[in-house]
Amino acid sequence: MIPPAAGRADPPAALPLGALLVGTLALAAGAAALATRPAVLASAAPTPAFLALTHAVTLGYVALLFAGTLQQLLSVLLVTRLAWPRLGTVTLPALAAGSAAVVGGFARGFEPGLLAAGGTLVTLALGATALQAVRTLAGASRRDAAARGLVAAAAYLALTAALGFLLATAPHLPPLARLLGYPVGLHLAVGLYGAFLLGIAAAGQRLLAMFALAKRTHAVRLRTLTGLVHAAIVAELLTAFAHVPLHGVATGLLAAAGALQLWEVTALLRVRLRRRLEPPVQRYLLAHAFLPLAGVLALTGHRPGAGIDLLLGFVVLAVSGMQVKIASFLTWQGRYAARGGAARAPLLRDMLLPGLEPLTTVGLGAGAAAAALAASLRSEPWANAAAVLLAIGAWAQLIQTLAIVFGRHASRAGRAAGSAVPKEHA
Amino acid sequence: MTPTLHTLAPVPDPDAVLGGLAEVLDPELALDVLSLGLVYTVRIVGGAVAVEMTLTTPGCPLHDSIAAAVERRLARVEGVDTVDVTVVWDPPWTPASMTDAARRTLGFD
Repeated sequence: MIPPAAGRADPPAALPLGALLVGTLALAAGAAALATRPAVLASAAPTPAFLALTHAVTLGYVALLFAGTLQQLLSVLLVTRLAWPRLGTVTLPALAAGSAAVVGGFARGFEPGLLAAGGTLVTLALGATALQAVRTLAGASRRDAAARGLVAAAAYLALTAALGFLLATAPHLPPLARLLGYPVGLHLAVGLYGAFLLGIAAAGQRLLAMFALAKRTHAVRLRTLTGLVHAAIVAELLTAFAHVPLHGVATGLLAAAGALQLWEVTALLRVRLRRRLEPPVQRYLLAHAFLPLAGVLALTGHRPGAGIDLLLGFVVLAVSGMQVKIASFLTWQGRYAARGGAARAPLLRDMLLPGLEPLTTVGLGAGAAAAALAASLRSEPWANAAAVLLAIGAWAQLIQTLAIVFGRHASRAGRAAGSAVPKEHA
Repeated sequence: MTPTLHTLAPVPDPDAVLGGLAEVLDPELALDVLSLGLVYTVRIVGGAVAVEMTLTTPGCPLHDSIAAAVERRLARVEGVDTVDVTVVWDPPWTPASMTDAARRTLGFD
């Protein structure tokens, strides 16, 4: 009797939930490691410790969450069946293991064996995930800007991993290094903008519209943003491999893409029907305050600070907000959906430990701002403050995720003020 | 002579059907499907109940769960033999469909 609505055959919820848990553990472990040596933030130099920490966040946390969430979100956005629904059982563990090896390889002073093994696993896992996303898109009848943007972000994430693998391999293969140079700027641009900004913009537009009940989304803005990111990455590719000096053009295009994302989020908020937004959604919104700050830091010559601001402020804050919503939805589907209508199932918000949300938001938000200042001013006091704040935020996020997935959630009888049968229906 | 007694299956009480629908909550919005104005029509023919409903957003992740919850809840109403839930997108849901109480709960006038 249930309509074949989406006609989906999603992978088991345990798969994306496992990725969310392992990813959050990586974030918390990275924050704990930073707390033991906060000075790496003040130097912001590509030292082994700095690279290990940044890759714990980018690969261990953000990429794993992105790849795990795709296993559910893509079929929802495209209203279709996920291609190769069991693929995640291979790619997600491979990505987690590969990320751990890459981080370990950096932490142990560019250990070539670990970097090679980890880079191979990560590149293959993200490459397979990107192919899965493209295949799912090809089989869908409805391909809106959000779904296309998400698939492009998956492809850029795979490209980022491949470029990183090349960067790690080049010092050991001089002919390769001579051929390709050392395109670290390209690696950063494809990762931060192609994968993360585009992924957050595409998934976030749909999710924010859903959580805020915003009824008028503007696909043209997202399409333009996607086009700007594509153009900027082409410019970076030409700069890296054809030695055409287009880095400034790429920076301008990416700044315009960031401005468009701000515009879109502001526009969605203006037309939202739900006035009171939940704390995780507020955290997603707060993340956007770090976009103009990154622009100011970049324009004033503080590129390391701008990069840290983008990664920790914009990306981690936005992802951590949506992560709470996605984890509670996936857990609810797995544990309580069968009780729906029996008035015993908790609401999604009942599954959260509400006291942790301010800790996460303040810890990660203030920590990101302090980290960006530490890198820009080369200030150890700011680095110390950032490390403490980030650790508080990351561990609060881990405890929240564990509480959502494994906690005993109480339902609230008669909880909804508007749930009484209205007179006109009764 | 004792007459043979033929009893018809009880027809579900429409109020009980609507009451059942009022217990199916959207777990994100904390409002029931009736208050949200998601239910377009309810047809009761004998013991068969057919519900035509929508969701606030196409591609809502809770699509299958809410439709299944409606089916499960109505199947427990006395006299209901079969439940058929159809999710439609035309006409699309608008906030005008909500009750005043639901609009207040969501924080807008």
